[in-house]
Amino acid sequence: MPSSSPTSSVIQVGPPSPVPRERRHRGVPSWSLKTAMAITGAIWAAFVAIHLFGNLKVFQGPDAFNGYAAWLRAVFYPFFPKEMVLWGLRVVLVIALGVHVGAAAIVWARGRRARGGHRVTLRGMRSWGAWLMPVTGVVLLAFVTVHVLDLTLGLAPVAPEGFAHPEAGVAHAYGNLIASFQRPWSAWFYVAAMVLLSVHIAKGFANLAADLGAMGRRWRATLSAVGGLLAVAVLLGNAAIPIAVQMGWIA
Amino acid sequence: MKLTVQVWRQAGPGAPGRFERHVVDGIEPHLSVLELLDALNEQLIDSGAEPVAFESDCREGICGACGVTVDGEAHGREDNVPSCHQRLSGYADGSILRIEPLRAGAFPVVRDLIVDRGALDDLIRAGGHVAVDAGTAPDADALPVGEERAELALDFAACIGCGACVAACPNGAAHLFAGSKLMHLSLLPLPSLERQRRVVAVVDELEELFGPCSNYGECARACPAGIPLTAIAAVNHERLLAGLQRRL
Amino acid sequence: MRFFARPGKPDAAAQHGPAVPATPPPWRAPASAAPGVRIGTVLDGRLPGGDPATAWDRRRAAYKLVSPLNTKKFTVVVVGTGLAGAGVAAALGELGYQVHAFTYHDSARRAHSVAAQGGINAARARKVDGDSLHRFVVDTVKGGDFRAREAEAYRLAQESVRVIDHMNAIGAPFAREYGGTLATRSFGGVQVSRTYYTRGQTGQQLQIAGAQALQRQVHRGTVALHTRTEMLDLVVDDGVCRGVVARDLATGQVWVQPAHAVVLATGGYGSVYFHSTLAMNSNATAVWRAVRRGASLAHASFVQFHPTALPISSHWQSKTILMSESLRNDGRIWVPARSGDARPPADIPEDERDYYLERKYPSFGNLSPRDISSRAAKEQIDAGHGVGPLRNSVYLDFADAIGRLGREVLEARYGNLFDMYAHATGEDPYSVPMRIAPGAHFTMGGLWTDYDQMTAIAGLFVGGEAGWAYHGANRLGANSLLSACVDGWFTLPFSIPNYLSGQLGSRLPDAGDACVREAYARVRARTDALIGVGGRLAASHFHRELGEIMYADVGVARTAEGLARAIERIRELRGRFWREVAIPGSGAQVNQALERAGRVADFLELAELMAVDALDRQESCGAHFRTEHADAGEARRDDQRWAFASAWSVDGAERPGGAMTFTRHAEPLSYQAVPLATRSYR
Repeated sequence: MPSSSPTSSVIQVGPPSPVPRERRHRGVPSWSLKTAMAITGAIWAAFVAIHLFGNLKVFQGPDAFNGYAAWLRAVFYPFFPKEMVLWGLRVVLVIALGVHVGAAAIVWARGRRARGGHRVTLRGMRSWGAWLMPVTGVVLLAFVTVHVLDLTLGLAPVAPEGFAHPEAGVAHAYGNLIASFQRPWSAWFYVAAMVLLSVHIAKGFANLAADLGAMGRRWRATLSAVGGLLAVAVLLGNAAIPIAVQMGWIA
Repeated sequence: MKLTVQVWRQAGPGAPGRFERHVVDGIEPHLSVLELLDALNEQLIDSGAEPVAFESDCREGICGACGVTVDGEAHGREDNVPSCHQRLSGYADGSILRIEPLRAGAFPVVRDLIVDRGALDDLIRAGGHVAVDAGTAPDADALPVGEERAELALDFAACIGCGACVAACPNGAAHLFAGSKLMHLSLLPLPSLERQRRVVAVVDELEELFGPCSNYGECARACPAGIPLTAIAAVNHERLLAGLQRRL
Repeated sequence: MRFFARPGKPDAAAQHGPAVPATPPPWRAPASAAPGVRIGTVLDGRLPGGDPATAWDRRRAAYKLVSPLNTKKFTVVVVGTGLAGAGVAAALGELGYQVHAFTYHDSARRAHSVAAQGGINAARARKVDGDSLHRFVVDTVKGGDFRAREAEAYRLAQESVRVIDHMNAIGAPFAREYGGTLATRSFGGVQVSRTYYTRGQTGQQLQIAGAQALQRQVHRGTVALHTRTEMLDLVVDDGVCRGVVARDLATGQVWVQPAHAVVLATGGYGSVYFHSTLAMNSNATAVWRAVRRGASLAHASFVQFHPTALPISSHWQSKTILMSESLRNDGRIWVPARSGDARPPADIPEDERDYYLERKYPSFGNLSPRDISSRAAKEQIDAGHGVGPLRNSVYLDFADAIGRLGREVLEARYGNLFDMYAHATGEDPYSVPMRIAPGAHFTMGGLWTDYDQMTAIAGLFVGGEAGWAYHGANRLGANSLLSACVDGWFTLPFSIPNYLSGQLGSRLPDAGDACVREAYARVRARTDALIGVGGRLAASHFHRELGEIMYADVGVARTAEGLARAIERIRELRGRFWREVAIPGSGAQVNQALERAGRVADFLELAELMAVDALDRQESCGAHFRTEHADAGEARRDDQRWAFASAWSVDGAERPGGAMTFTRHAEPLSYQAVPLATRSYR
C-alpha cells in the first residue's frame, strides 16, 4: 500500500516536545493575601464596632461624647503616656488598611488576568456581593480619607469651618461633628457610605469564613450571622447620627 | 423545531476567533445541546465544510469531557447540569443559541469549542494522589471509615473534572476543583497521611495556573457534580492547617 | 505454527516455567458454516496444567524477573488509561519501567471505565452468606455459559481481594457500614452479596483513583503521559511488537514510539452498533489494527445487550443511556397483548397487557438475567408489540410499586434514576411507564491472549475489555470493573516483566529500521486514502447505517439467513464508504471528521468479522443466541462441538474497502472445577 517509503528524517520518533503551559510568576501567594485580608478586615470590623459604640454617645449629649473623646486620649494613663494607646491603634489600623487594600488590589488584578479577558455572567446574590467588594472598597477608601480629613485632622476644604482641635485634655468632638453634619452633602455622603460599609461588612464576614477555612456548617452560619448583625447595627446606628443632625433632633 | 446556532470558530490556539451562524432544522426538544451540534456537524460535513470541533464522550454526565458555554453560561442555562444533559426544551422554535468554548485564561482554545484543560490535571499531578504502590495496601476493613465520613468524602470525590467551575468563575479560579480533591483525600484514613505535603504542592500549582478565589460562588452553581461550596474554603483550610503544623 | 514458538526466540515457550507434559487430545475443530472461512490452528493458551485453583500461584512462581536495576532500561507503551491501562502503566512505573501512556482524551481520567455504575465484585467472602473463592468462580464460569477459561476465573477471584484493598488505599471512597467496614450489595446473577460500590458511581471513583495513581508516576517521571494522542498502528518486526504509531490529535503530527512491549487497554467495541451505552469516542481501532498486524480476535460476536437502556426515539439521539438494572427490582415489564396496539399505556386494561417475563420465567420474572431479558424484549418488539413512537421499546411500569410502597419509597430508592429518565425523555416515570429497550453494552469478545495476556504477536499484551479472558459468552454484572483492575494492577505487572526478562539488551528500533518506516507509511497512506476519497457524506451516515444492520441481524437474536444478509450489506456499505465519505480539512490540525472516519472504517471491517463469527458458531450460548439452536425458545449450547474459543485472524492485503478472508483458530476449553451444566431461569 505505501507508495513510497518515507525517509527516516521525516519520521518523528519519540514524543514531540510539548508546549509549556503559561504560568504566573510566583509572588506572595493569593491564599496568604486572602488570609491577610480576612484578618485585617476583621481588625477593621472590630474597630468599626467599637467606633459605633462610641458614636452612639452623641445621643447622650455633648458632655458624654466629648468626655469619651477625651478618654480615648488617656486610655491606660498613667501606665502608658497619654495618646500612646490611641496612636498604637492608629498605627495598627493604618497598616491593616494598607495590607487590606494592597492585597485586594493584587487579588483583583490576578483575578482579571486569570479570567483571560472574557465576559462573565453573574448570577445570584453571592456573586453580586463578591462583585461589590472591590467597588464598595474603593468608595470606602475614599470615605475613610474624607472622614479623617473631616473629623480627625480638620483640614479644609473637607472639614467644617470652625473645626476645633482638642486642647489641654478638652475635646471638641461634639461640636465638630454637629458642624460637619449640618452640611447636607456631608450628612448624605456619610449615610451613603454607611450603606456601602454595611454591604462590605456583611459579605466580608462570609468571605472571612471561607478565607480562614471555616468549613463547618455551624461555623459558617455563625460568622455570616455576626457579619449580618454588625452590618445592620452599623447601618442603623451610624446613619442615624447625620440624619438626626439634618432633622434637627440633635444640635 | 428549527434553531439558529451562533457558534465560535477558531482555527487554532493563537488564531483569531469569530462567531458563525447556522440554522439547524428537524431538531426535537428533548435532544441535548451536544446533539444539536452533532446535527449541525453532519450538515456541515455533507456540505463540504469543516465540522465544529467539540469534545464529548460518555453523554451521561460522568466523564467530564464535554463543556461548552451556552448564552454566556458554562454548560448551559440549567444549573448543575453538564452540556450533554442540557436539553433544548427550554428554547422556543426559532431561538438563537450562542455556543462558545469554556472561557478562562487557564483554558486556551485548541480549536473551535475545544479548550485545553490540562492545567486541572497539573493540580492532580502535583499532589492529588496517594503514595501507595500496587500490592502494598493494608486490608481495607482494617482501617474503618465511618459511614458519614465515607459519604462526605464521596460528596467531594464526585467531581467530574469538566472545568466548568473555572469557566464560570469571574476570577478564573479552580478552588472548587482543588478543594474537592483535597477534601476527598483528607477525609480518608490512608490518603490523609499525606495531607500536609499534598496541600502545599497542590496550592503552589494552583497559584501558578489559576486565579485567586473571591467567593463569587458561581462555581458551585455551574458544577454538574454538585460539589458543595465549602470546597473552596477547603483550600485555605487545608493550607492553613499545613502552615500551622507543628515542626519538631 | 507461529503461535507456539517464534523464529529467533527459541526460549519463548520455556519462559513460562516447566512445560506441561504434552498429551494432546485428539481434538478437531468443526467445519464452518460461514463461506470462505479457513480452519486454522489449535491454539495453546499456555495455561498452567493441573488444579486451576492453584494455577496462578504456580505461574507467578515460575515467572522470570527483571532486576530493579534494569527496569529503567525497558520502555513499555500502554494504550488507554482506563482502569486496566492506568493500572498497568502506574504499576509498571512504580517498578521503575519507562512507560509511555496514551489516551485520545484530554485527560487520563475520562476513559469510559468512568461510566460504570453498579459496583465491583470481589471474592473476599467475609460474610456468612456462603460466598467463597470457589463460588465466585462457579458464578463467573456459569454466568459466562462455559465459554471462558476456568483458570483465569480463579485468577480473577484470587486477585479481587487485593484489588479492593488497593483501590481503597489509593482513594476510592467505598460505601461503608455504620460500623466502618466495607458495605456490599447483591447483583444480578448471584445469590451472595459480594459487590463493593460507591453509590451509583463505582466506575468513576475507581477510574479517578487509577488516574491519580498514574499522575503520581508522571510526577515521579516514570510515566510519560500523552493525552490527545490516538494510537493508529503497531510497529511489528517479524512477529514481535516493537512500538506504536500515534497521531497527536491537537496538531495532527504522526509519530512513532518504539517500545520493548506494548499493552492495549483500549476497551470494548460495542460502538460498532452506533447506538450503544458506550461513549462517543469508544472505538475498535487499536484492537482492529492489532488484528490486521497478526493478532487474532476471540469471540468476535459475543456482545452483551443491556435490557434497561433507553430506546432510540429520534434521529439525532446520540446514544442509548443506560438505566441501572436495579430498576427491575420494582418495575414490571410489559407490552400490549395485541400486536400494533397504539393506545396510551393508561388506556390498556390489565387483561390486555402481557407481562411476558413473568409469564415465561415465573421463578425469576422481571429479574431474569440480562441476555434472557434482552432477548425476550426483542421478541416482543419484533412481533409488533413494541411501544413508543418508533415501536421499539417495552414498558417498565412502576404503577404497582407506587401503589404498594408509595411514591416516597420509590423516590428514595430510584429518585436520581427517575430524574435522569425524566430529563432525558421529558416523560414523568411516576405517572407514565418508562420505556426501555435492549442496547449494545459490553463486548465479551476481544483480542485473543494466552494465560499471560499476550496476543499472538509477541510483546503485545492486552488488558480489560479489549481482551477476551474472563467473561465467556455473557458477563456477570460488576465483573467488568474487576477484570480491568485485576489485569492492570495484578496480572500484567507480573507477566510483562517475565516477557521483558528475555529482551534485556535488545535495541529499540528507530527511524532507520524498516519496521518503523513501514508502520509510519501505513498510517500516512491510510490517512491520505481517507482524505483522498473526497466524497460527499459524513462518516456518521455510514456508522448509523452500520448500526442498523448490526442491530437487525447481528443483535440480540441471530439467524443464519440474517447473518448472511448482514455480511453482504456490510461489504456493500464498506464499499460505499470508501467511495462516498467526506472528510473536510487536512490531517495537519484538529480534524474530528478524520478521526471519526478512521474509526468507522475499522468498524466496517470488524463488523463483518462479527457477523462471520456469529454465523460460524452454530450453537446458542450466553449472549450469542441463534434462533436455529434453541429448545422451545431457550438457548441450546453444543458442548460437543463448540466448547472452544474461536480466535479469528484476517488474511489478505489491507486495501481500503477491499475484501477480507478470515481464519478461525480454536482454543479448546475444558472444565475441571465447574462441571458443564445448562443454565435455566424458568
